[in-house]
Order: sequence, then C-alpha cells, then structure tokens
Amino acid sequence: MALVAQLDGVSHRYGAVTALDGVSVGIPAGCMAGLIGPDGVGKSTLLALVSGVRKLQAGRITVLDQDISTAAARRINAPRVAYMPQGLGRNLYPTLSVRENLEFFGRLFGQPAEERAARIEMLLAATGLSPFPDRPAGKLSGGMKQKLSLCSALIHDPDLLILDEPTTGVDPLSRRQFWELIASIRQRMTGMSVLVATAYMEEAEGFDWLAAMDGGRVLAQGSPADLRRQAGADTLEDAFIRLLPEEVRAGHQPVVMRPRQSVDGAAPAIEARNLTMRFDDFTAVDNVSFEIPEGEIFGFLGSNGCGKTTTMKMLTGLLVPTEGETRLFGEPLLNSDMQSRMRIGYMSQAFSLYSELTVRQNLLLHAQLYAVPTERRAARVQAMLDDFELGPVADAMPESLPLGIRQRLQLAAATIHEPRILILDEPTSGVDPVARDAFWRKLVSLSRDQGVTIFISTHFMNEAARCDRISLMHAGRVLAVGTPEELAAARGNGNLEQAFVAYLEDVEKPQEATETAATSFEAAGRSPSRLSGTLSRLWAYSWRESLELVRDPIRLFFAFLGPVILLITIGFGISFDVDKLTFAVLDQDQSPESRRLVEQFSSIRQFETGPDLADMADMSRRMGQGSLTLAMEIPDGFGRKLRQGDQPEVGLWIDGAMPFRADTARGYALGLLQNFSTTFAEEEGQTVPSGVAIETRFQFNQAFKSANAMVPSVIMLILALIPGVMSAVGVVREKETGTIANFRSTPVGRTEFLLGKQLPYIALATINFWMLFFMGIGLFGVPFTGSLATLAAISVLYVTATTGFGQFISSFTRTQVAAVFSVAVITIIPTVNFSGLIVPVSSMGKGAQIVGLAFPGAWYQPVSVGTFAKGLGWPDLRLNAVVLAIFGLVYLVASVAALRKQEA
Amino acid sequence: MRSLANTLRLTGKELRAIRGDFVMVALIIYVFTVATYIVADAVSTEIRNLAVAVIDEDQSILSHRLTDAIQPPLFNPPVLLSPAEAEKALIKGKYVLVVALPPNLEHDLRENKSPTISILADATAVAHAGNGATYMQQLITTEISRFVSPEGTRSALVNVVFRNLFNPNLTSKWFSAVMQLMNSITIITLILSGASLIREREHGTIEHVLVMPVRPHEIVLSKILANGIVILIAATISLELVVRWLLGVPVAGSTLLFVAGTAIYIVAVASMGLLLSTFTHNMGQFGLLIIPVMIVMILLSGGMTPLESMPMWLQVLMKTVSPSPHFVSFAQSVLYRGCGLPLVAGQLVAMAGMSAVALAIALGRFRKVLSA
Repeated sequence: MALVAQLDGVSHRYGAVTALDGVSVGIPAGCMAGLIGPDGVGKSTLLALVSGVRKLQAGRITVLDQDISTAAARRINAPRVAYMPQGLGRNLYPTLSVRENLEFFGRLFGQPAEERAARIEMLLAATGLSPFPDRPAGKLSGGMKQKLSLCSALIHDPDLLILDEPTTGVDPLSRRQFWELIASIRQRMTGMSVLVATAYMEEAEGFDWLAAMDGGRVLAQGSPADLRRQAGADTLEDAFIRLLPEEVRAGHQPVVMRPRQSVDGAAPAIEARNLTMRFDDFTAVDNVSFEIPEGEIFGFLGSNGCGKTTTMKMLTGLLVPTEGETRLFGEPLLNSDMQSRMRIGYMSQAFSLYSELTVRQNLLLHAQLYAVPTERRAARVQAMLDDFELGPVADAMPESLPLGIRQRLQLAAATIHEPRILILDEPTSGVDPVARDAFWRKLVSLSRDQGVTIFISTHFMNEAARCDRISLMHAGRVLAVGTPEELAAARGNGNLEQAFVAYLEDVEKPQEATETAATSFEAAGRSPSRLSGTLSRLWAYSWRESLELVRDPIRLFFAFLGPVILLITIGFGISFDVDKLTFAVLDQDQSPESRRLVEQFSSIRQFETGPDLADMADMSRRMGQGSLTLAMEIPDGFGRKLRQGDQPEVGLWIDGAMPFRADTARGYALGLLQNFSTTFAEEEGQTVPSGVAIETRFQFNQAFKSANAMVPSVIMLILALIPGVMSAVGVVREKETGTIANFRSTPVGRTEFLLGKQLPYIALATINFWMLFFMGIGLFGVPFTGSLATLAAISVLYVTATTGFGQFISSFTRTQVAAVFSVAVITIIPTVNFSGLIVPVSSMGKGAQIVGLAFPGAWYQPVSVGTFAKGLGWPDLRLNAVVLAIFGLVYLVASVAALRKQEA
Repeated sequence: MRSLANTLRLTGKELRAIRGDFVMVALIIYVFTVATYIVADAVSTEIRNLAVAVIDEDQSILSHRLTDAIQPPLFNPPVLLSPAEAEKALIKGKYVLVVALPPNLEHDLRENKSPTISILADATAVAHAGNGATYMQQLITTEISRFVSPEGTRSALVNVVFRNLFNPNLTSKWFSAVMQLMNSITIITLILSGASLIREREHGTIEHVLVMPVRPHEIVLSKILANGIVILIAATISLELVVRWLLGVPVAGSTLLFVAGTAIYIVAVASMGLLLSTFTHNMGQFGLLIIPVMIVMILLSGGMTPLESMPMWLQVLMKTVSPSPHFVSFAQSVLYRGCGLPLVAGQLVAMAGMSAVALAIALGRFRKVLSA
C-alpha cells in the first residue's frame, strides 16, 4: 500500500508535557485516514507536524516523498498540502466575507484573477455557500464556517488534505453534509489523500484506515473492522476503551441508568415560558418554552451558536430575557434574587474556576460564597474531595490537571452547596470516554439518589440517549422535545442521530450541490514567474490587512483619533510658556519709589497681580495653598535708601514646588528689577555702571512660542507611537486568533508576509502625518518655513522605520497586550527623554545621546523641527534620510530573522 | 454584612491572583523602583550642562575672561566658533546658546560707548533657551561689573534677595521624583484594575461568580480593594525608599496624609480603569484604549508643565474628567508645602466624587457587558 506520510520515532514535548512519544506509523495514500482518540492525546500535534506547521523535535517524517526536516522540502510540499486547524473557522477572517476569504487564499497560491474567480464559483456551488458570498465569515453558522474552511483548504487542489476535528461542535445535519462533501470531492480528485482527526467514533466508522491514539502513542491501527475485531467489541467506542492500557481503564464501569422516581403534583423544577433573547438585531433565542420536573435529567442538543448557552444563562439568571420568564419550583426567577441562586449549580462550557487557586482553595471559596455555615465548611469541602476523587490533587493548580479531572472539579464546585438544580453546559466536551462515563455515573447518582434536577447540553448521541428527555435546538428554536426513544422512533427508525437529521432537514431547506460543480477544474498549465508569485502573496496580505483594519472600529479609533487627541492635548498642554504667574506684594514702605517698583511688576502680562499681602504669615499661607507663585517684600525705608544710594534690600519669594516655573519667574523678576534700576538711574541723572547692553535673540522662533517648537517634536512622538503599536498588533493578532496557521501552512514567505502586512500601516501612518501636519499649521498656527517635499518624503521613511519596529516586537511576542505595552514602553521612554522633545540632544550626556540615537526618533526630530522652524531642505537633511532608511531595513531584516515559519 | 464578607473573600482571591502573576509583579516592582529612579534623575528642565558656543571677535582680556566664566554646572565649556560656523551649528542644533562678543568690546566698554553682546538662543529648545539665556545674561553682567570695578563696590541700585520656598535650590529632581511616582501610580492602577476584569471575562470566571449569590458591586469593590492595597503599599515603599532615601528628596508634610490622599486617588483611577475595561472585549483592545488615556492623564495633570499655562477650556476639562490634576496639586501641597488636611480637603473631595461617578457607570454597564 502506498503511503502519503511516514513517521519514524516521532516524539514531541511541550515543556514537561509529552505530546507524542516515539510514534512510528505509516499513513496510507489515496484514502480517508483517521486519527481517533479524545482531546490531548497528541492527534493535533501529529497533524501539525505532518503539515509542516509545527517544528519537528525528534524523529523523521516523510510526507509526499519529501523528508520535511528541511525548509526546502517544506517549500516544495507547501502548495501540495492543505491544513485545516482545529476550532470552528479558526483559519478564517471573521470580518471578511465568504468570497473575500476565498480570494485571499487564492492569491496566496498565486492564482490569476480569472482562475481564482472560476475556482471560487465552483467551490461555493459545491458546498452550497453560493447564496451568501457576501456574508462575513464570523456571522456564518458553525457548519457553514467549516464548509468555508474546507473551501479555502481545497482552493489549490492539494494532494494531501489534513483536517483537525473538522466537525466538533457542528450539528448532525451539517456534519453529515460535510462528510458527503468530502466524499464527492474525493470522487472528483481521486488522487487526493485525506487525513482527519476526530473525537466522534460514529464518524470514524466510515473511514478507510484508523489509528487509535492515547497518551501520545498509537494503540492500534487498521480499518474500523480490524480495530473492532482486535478489541472484540461491537462498536468503535467500546473497542477504543478496550484498547486502552490496563491502568487507564481500570476504574471504568459502564454507566447504568436507573428509572426516575417521579413526584406527582409538585411544581416543575424548571419552567421556561416563551423565553426570547435578542442582541441588537440578532435573535439568539426565539420563544423557547419547556417544563422539567424535579429529578429529571434533561438533555439539550444542538450545534454551537444555536442558542443553547444563551438559554442556559437565562435559566441561571445571568442574562435577563428580552421576553418571557423562568420559574424555578413555581417561583419566578429574578436577577436580584439571591435565594434562588442558592438552588442552582452551574457549570459553564469552558473551564471557569480560578486557575490561580488550588483545587482545595477553589472549593473553599465556593463554600464561602455560597454561605455554607463556617462549622460545616471544612467537612463539606472534604466530602467533595472524597466524593469526586479529588483528594490526591487537592493542592494542585487546576491548569496542571487533565481535562477530565478539571471537569470533575467544576462539578464538585457546582454542587458544594447541595443545589436542587444543576445546569451543565457541555460538561463532557473533549473528555475521554472513560472519564466521560465516570462523570455520568456521578450525574446518575445525583439525580436518582438525591433527586437533583439536571439540565445538560451535549454533542454526544450516546449521552443524549441516557437522558430522561431531550430537546433539540436549532437557530434559537426548539425543534422537538421528548424521550430519546420516542424521538428515535418517530423520525429516525430507532436511530437518534437519524431522527435529528430528519428534524433539521424540516427547517433547513435541502441544499442542492449543483451537478455542474462536479466538473473538475483544470489548472491551466501555469508556471507563474517567481516575482509575480511573490507580489501576489504580498498583495494578498496587504489587501486583507486593509480590509480587516477598515472593519475594526477600535483599531480605527486608535489609528485616526489617537493622533488627533494626542496632538491636541500635548500641543496645548505641554507648554513652556510661563505666564499668568500669580504675584502679590507686601509693601511696608508705601513710598513713591516702592509704588513704582510694584507698578513695574504689575505692568507685564506674565504676572497676574493679586491682592496685597497683609503680612508674612499671609504670604506663607497663600503660597502653601499654591495660589501664589511670586511674592515681593519691600521693607520700610526702601525709597529713602534708594534715593541715598544705600542699596536697599528687596525680598522675593518664589514657590519652588515646580522648579521650571520658579526659574522662569526668577528670570522675569531679574529683568524687571534691572529695568527699574536703569530707568531710575537715568531719571536721577546717574550713570549706569555696566555699560554693556546684552540682547538675547531667539532664533527660529522669534515669538518664543512653545507650540512652534513642541508641535513638530510631538509629531515625531506620535508617528513613533501610534503606527508602532498598530503594526505590532497586526502580527500578534494572527497568533491569538489562530489565523497565523495560514502563514505557516501556505507557500507565503516571511518577507512577503511581513512586508505585506506592513504596507497598509505605512499608508495609514502617512495619512496620519498629513493630518498632524495640517493640524499643526491650521490649529496651532505653527509657521512652516522649510521644504515640504523633504519633510513628506522623510516622514514616509520614518514611519516605515517605526512600523517596522512594531512588527519586530510582534514577531516574537505572543499576546496583543504584551506587544502593545512593549512597543509603547520601549518607544515612549527614548523618544520622550532622549530624542530632543524636552532636553536638547546637544545638552545630554554621551550615554543619553547614544541611547537616543539608537532609535529613529532622534533622527527624525531634527527633520521635523528643522523643516518647520529652521527653513531646512533636502541638502541639510540627507544624512537623516539615509539613517532612517537603514533603520527601516534593519527592523525588517530583524523581524524576518525573529519570525518563525514553524511553531515550536 | 454578607456583602462585606463576600467582598473580603473575593479580595483575598484577587490578592492571590496578583501574587500568581509574575509578569505583573515584576512590572509593579520595576515601575515603582527603577523607572521612578531613572526618570526622576534623567528628564530635567533644570539648566544643566547646556551646550554653548562663543564667537569671540574681540580677542581681548575681557573676552577671554567672559569665555572662561562660562562653566559647568550650568553650561558645558564653550566651543569657539567663527560667525559662519556658528550659524551652521545653530541650524544643526548643536548648541542651545551662542554668545557673540563683538569686535572692540573691551575698548568700547572703557570708552563708555556701550557695546552690545548678543546671545543667540535656539528657540526650538523651548524648555531651556529662555532660562538659559537669562542665566547667561546674569553671568555676563556679573563678570563685566567685576571687570569694571574689581573692588566690588556697588554694582546695582537694589540688592535683591531671592528665596525659593519649598525647594531652595530649585532642584528639579525633587519635583520630578514625586511626579514620576504619581505617573507610576496612574499607569499601574489603570492597567491592573482593567486587566483584572478583562482577564475574568476572557476566562469566563466572572459569569461563574455571578451565578453564585454574589452581587456585581461586591466583585468590583473587591478588585479595587485588592489592587488598591497592593499599589498603595508599593507606592508608600517607593516614596520612603526611592524618593526619600535614594533620591534624598525632603518631604515637608505628613506622610500619613499623603498616603490617605493616594488611597483616594488609587480608588478613583481604579474605578476609571474598570469603567474603560467595560468598553473592550480583550486585553489587546484594552491596550489600544488605555495608552492615549494614560498619556493624556499624565501629561495634562500639571505634573509636567504648570496647569495654568494651558488654555482655560483644557484646564476645566481636565479637572472635570481626570483625577490626576487634583492629585498633583494635592501632592505638591502636602509633600512640598507641608499643608494640612483643611487646605487639601477640596482636592480629596473632588477625587472621591470622580471615583463615585466612574464606579456608578461601570456597575451600570456590568451586566450589559456580560451579555455581549
């Protein structure tokens, strides 16, 4: 049998955790090959390694006859392999429409416009997505997202299609359609190999070849029939459990359902009456009603996003329904009603206990918040630890525990206050079959022994079958309610899954996969030049980045209003124009001379004269309050001494709390006294001793206005900060949302990716520059004296450098918040302190000068200040332009070096 | 009673969360020690080592004496340039001041012809050109009077005695150290409080708590309490250790009063951080929103340049929306001027009022945010 991929002794570790443990397996070509097993057994790691997205740590992998340990081999494979990562629409761009998403992928593979359009038409028709090419991917249902994901994987006719849990969280009908779609595509592209990971054993029955995995090892491989035969079991699920190593399944016992003791005449435990929930224009839950008697296990089924979670949140009081009401034991549930909350235990879909607290601390906090009496608290916590077999891990942190144990802990926390009702949102999603059965045994005991009412949502049909009654929800409505047997009998010939598909088909118009679509698309023997391929991929990223940016209000706000707000506040706010200094006088002389001196001080606009001081204590008080900056004391006998040439003393008190203001006030006062002396001497006919006139001329800013110098400098600061942060977010966002997988699994190169993403931000920052420039001229009235062309050109170089810096930071940070704050902190400190914003570079120490000059800001500041205030042009600023261009280049090279094409 | 107990329990949980977050702890320590120290020492509007050039066209004893008089700490030793060189150098921003000593300076002075010395100041260095020129003018005047009458007979008609209250030598470090402490408090409080709410939303733990018999205000108060305690302790240590001891800044007023006022300020800023976090969905968005807010709050607090130099509308606006101007004025009054409670009560009330408003809005948005 031909192999599409061959693994030899492949091991993979994440820190201390072993994901794959010496796996050697050959995956057959030209068929449907599947990996089965619960979450966390290494399926995803194996797929990521085969697709080349993850870096191989140990062992050897051959895919499509290439040893993929070399970058060259991976480059050859990239256009032949398609990879669809785990998670609904994880590799899609939610704000882009269906067509835009596909166009992006088409461009990544260098397809010319007509070919791309034709392929998109064909894929949309084949998947039944043709009616909504313009709907944003984020607004598609789970099933449609997965179909779109599949389309984007198939756009380049791959030889190997790798699908990581493509149907998890998708409703049964969509799931069935998805597999039919794969089957029809395989008929058309007969050579294509498909490798799928799944947690649904029912699905795996239809595959050609399976490998059952657990604990990073392959337990068994072969056709589904082989596996069942090996284990001697009737179903794959049983077979899987039997294949598990002895110690894992030691504690496994089958779940035994016991009949419920019904209590007649009592009010139902949960009663939902016409519940409706609308968010803006979207109706999440539409007129849902049901009654659940006490002690019943009520199952809730439906695809992700169909309104299950919203309904559950309304039942817990977390959300207030737009219409309708919930009654618990006959009493209406009110948001503010603390008593009814004591009756409910809730377990949300994702793990939502505190990861910073240990298992025991989490339970204790719950006991406290649920007001378990102090004397019973310790005993209750201990009882939960024992009951749920959490004793051995009582002091462990939840994050270090396997999913199955964490879910048990959540259930323990939800039942610590002995609630009458349990609301469980997909508690067993991703949990392995053995742990799942253990969890269900616990539920059975709670329901049957303690009469707790359980409201549970699930994706698993065998779990649904265990419920007393189930309801099927779709698109915000309940389609059917009844016992599993009733529903299976009514619509599914005894099969529950069949029944659900039948109910779903009633409401969903059946999609006609158009037959014309079945004509295979013939790639027109193209061999595009390398350059056009590069440009096409680069443009794919630029175009997509721009679209995403335009559709993200928060980033747009930051990009456009951020600079405006900053320039206005800093331009008006940071001012070294010291005026409106409050001034008061204590004139103990009251002579004509003293009054003239006071007049002299009151005459200039910088001083605002306040009421005269009563005494020295008055001065201390007013200066202490901060309502007085400068005080003058003229002692008794001032006029007499002055006339006699006895050099009288004048006391000046300055509020030194703000040194700059004090210094300036001192300068003004000195000038005024000098003036006073000169005029007095002239009038008295005396000669002035010092015969030198000193005149200060302020160059480049005759009016000595703060704004004239600050605005150009602040433009330097803003153009470093905002574009830097914006571009930093650009790359890290993809890491957080998971779309970085597209970069890793397609032929796009690192430089193409980075430059493509940088271009829109350079354009945006150039717009920012012009906005700031015109604000400086218009709003602040700063004169512009130099060469505008030079400033504009060098500004583009500058923002290329600052956006490059942002990308450099984001090429190695992991989260948006780390990238944002790193760029902000690293940019702000040198640009504010060492780039000439306040302290001139010439007056700094050598060390500070070097630090400043190591960032682009210190090279751009002379350009912006020079062209605004000093009338400079290209010849004066050539060097700065060259240095800024080098900065841009160095940042790009550094980013390329720091960005990994493969994940570790 | 229940409510108080719940708040305290959640506060304990918050404290554990902060302790477990090593990056945050490292950030807090860094900001309150290293950053406070470095910035307090670095950025200064003080006239210190100003780059100066001299054009000496006189080449006399007087001109040499004047040149030699230009010395550190105020000025760097001057560089001698020709007029043409000086013009170029000014354009390149190599010097903040250029002193031009005209030909025949000494001769004209002796002849009583009143020669003119020009000081060319690069006015694009707004923070230093003006005050630097004043100092230079003074220096030259003194030097010339000494030259004319070496015995030091009367030099001026009036003898001026300057006394700088609260900061006798106008050491800018005294000022910037305390202001940097305020900046640190602002930055850390905004990030920490906002992040604590967003992290819970991202992890889904907030919904989990709200299903329990816990009210939203208990959650919000516990966050303010926990973060506030941590930051207040860090700030007090920073004041005592870094500002007082390492930087040697004398503190005039009551430390207790300052700590009390700081506590109110932290509550106000934490409330704003929580409020801002209700407008965003994840930490990335929060980062984008918080950066302009932080810059505006810090730069326009009056801690960088005097509040009264701003346009009136901006002063009023800042005093209405941001607690930072009130805190700066409070801190200056208490720490430098040694004011007591009655003089700063107004600022405390203003900050408390702002935190009440921000909290009320944040609580109002709380449930709305959860459903989105």
